[in-house]
Amino acid sequence: MQPPQPPKISAVEVVAAQPTEADSAAIAHLSAESNRSLPQVVYVVKVHLKTKPPATSMAWALYVNDVLIPKYWEYADGIYFNVMDPQFFADHKGKRLRFSQNGVDFYDTGIKLPAPIAPAAASRSKGKAAKSKTTRLPLQADVLK
Amino acid sequence: MPSLKNPAIAGDVQFDTFIYGAPPLAYPALLSQYTIYNTPDPAYVTGRINVSAFANLGASTPWPFFNTNVPLNGHVCVPRGRGPFPLAVFAHGNHNPFENSTPGYLYLCQLLASHGIIAATIDVNFLNGFNFGENDGRAIVHLEHLKQFRTWNNTATHPLDGKVDLNRILIVGHSRGGEAVGHASFFNRLASIGAVPLDGSVGLGPYRFGLSAVAAIAPTDRQFTPVSGPTVVPDSYYLIHGSKDSDVFTFEGYHTYERAHAVDLANPTVSDGKFKAMLWVHKANHNQFNSIWASETPPGVAMPRASQAEIAKVHLGALAQAVLLDRAEYVDVLRDHGAAVAWDPAGTEFVSQYQDPERIFVQHNQEGLAPPVVSLPVQGTVAADSVVAARQLTALVGGAATTTITLRLVWSVLGSRLLLRADPATLPAERYKTLALRVGQSTEANNAANRDQDFTLEVSSGSRTAAIPASSLHRLLYPDPPPFGPAKIVMQTLRLPVERLVERGVDPNDLRSIALVFDRRATGTVYVGDLQCSN
Repeated sequence: MQPPQPPKISAVEVVAAQPTEADSAAIAHLSAESNRSLPQVVYVVKVHLKTKPPATSMAWALYVNDVLIPKYWEYADGIYFNVMDPQFFADHKGKRLRFSQNGVDFYDTGIKLPAPIAPAAASRSKGKAAKSKTTRLPLQADVLK
Repeated sequence: MPSLKNPAIAGDVQFDTFIYGAPPLAYPALLSQYTIYNTPDPAYVTGRINVSAFANLGASTPWPFFNTNVPLNGHVCVPRGRGPFPLAVFAHGNHNPFENSTPGYLYLCQLLASHGIIAATIDVNFLNGFNFGENDGRAIVHLEHLKQFRTWNNTATHPLDGKVDLNRILIVGHSRGGEAVGHASFFNRLASIGAVPLDGSVGLGPYRFGLSAVAAIAPTDRQFTPVSGPTVVPDSYYLIHGSKDSDVFTFEGYHTYERAHAVDLANPTVSDGKFKAMLWVHKANHNQFNSIWASETPPGVAMPRASQAEIAKVHLGALAQAVLLDRAEYVDVLRDHGAAVAWDPAGTEFVSQYQDPERIFVQHNQEGLAPPVVSLPVQGTVAADSVVAARQLTALVGGAATTTITLRLVWSVLGSRLLLRADPATLPAERYKTLALRVGQSTEANNAANRDQDFTLEVSSGSRTAAIPASSLHRLLYPDPPPFGPAKIVMQTLRLPVERLVERGVDPNDLRSIALVFDRRATGTVYVGDLQCSN
């Protein structure tokens, strides 16, 4: 028998989307924790996979360089994860995406984290203006279609 | 054990099986295996919960609900009679979401129900798929099912009114569900997780159930990590895993096991009053613990499915008898798998570990990587004679880096020994029934392939010495080759009854030395976890 092989990534894109109610609560929590006012935007990082491995219990943890992405989810073309804090992209844009099953051995995917193609105005706006602009963002469900 | 009955044999309690669920539900044709939950038993209608703070649903599966309103679906076997009955709740792990994993533990539920335990298997399929990090969500779902049973128990008009013994609950999880039961044990005591209150104010919690034990079947570990650090299971913990597991192939649960009820270096004599027990099953694989899942190993690699199911029934049955039905005699099966030899499929090889709540460490090895010492508060010295003794952070079972130190002993001269001398005034061996040593061999070249390792335990008080071959306590098996990757070093707890020492003239009030004498194999490498006086 052969050990499982890491998935291969064909492309990555980052799409700004409307936060869900749970996302809004998480954004508020993060804002309070970091003492920064985070925008009401969720960046959906879509990781297109060439082929999706079968669903097993052992998992391929996804890292941006050395930073573990704590949760990701399946969608039709691969996996995605959500980023609430745009600072994440400032810190990690251009860094390598890697998979690991044990946090010791890493597989470099050869793909780097891109910058978001977010509507900057929406991400910087606050208050009423922000609300009106974030409502123009797509729903996450639509982003994942 | 002539008086004990095989716990895998059905009891004589009649029971009924019900499907519970949260209508209205209309699973689409693609999810035809779930349509059984569209029409639950009218008495067993549940509600929905919002897990959106923990998990998304895989967007590739057409679930007829969102993560804000996932259903509490399951199958429950309810003994007939007045009760109250203990409760056991099983959860599956990650798998193809188009296949319903839930009924895969009905064989265990039916066994437990026949012995007078309400036993359920729950639907967490909506978190299945090529996802990662959702095991906190699985834990919340598991706890919410327990809450549902508490609600039914407290509802005067419900058939389960007053029938659930909420102080005797066993939660069992397989695979990622096995990791999740550890988180559930941890969350059970919390008022909130991050920004999410568990006080009922947003629908989740409160919990604070009386969990008698937490059992993990071939679990993962640390796919979810709380902000406070890797989960330390606070309840009694039971772990079972197969050597031919080709999904969770690095024995992840061993890391969970090592973190649970570990020695507190600041208070090494203090016990939290919980036990932990582990069973490593040679030739068992991952999927055959679930009766629905197809075997993940090619034919001939793992033991037959029926044998693996029987082992699950024997050992989880014994656990349930011990912790839910107060049949303390079944604790012997947890202490030593040999107690179940007449019930397990013939020829099956096991390795087991057990740590009793009542114990004092003579040597736990967690002080650091310096040469080995006798552990405080026991006073003494350690001397190695022709043995290379080194404390190491050895990855015994693969996977993530370990934080638990083991003592590696290498010898190449017959008669080499590791001698622990103790001040008997600091070693209250007479208060305990057993001397327990965790030790196991590796596949390193100086261990003969496929041959049991062996040595002699010499225990002395004053001028009297008892010499006990390790092999008279248990086999120290050569590691079973894994499906891929390095072989695991799984230590066996050797339990030497103090009574046996007394029979040989050793006075436990005056225990002065314990030696591992390598006089039965010319060469070898073994790994030692700890040495305890224990019950």
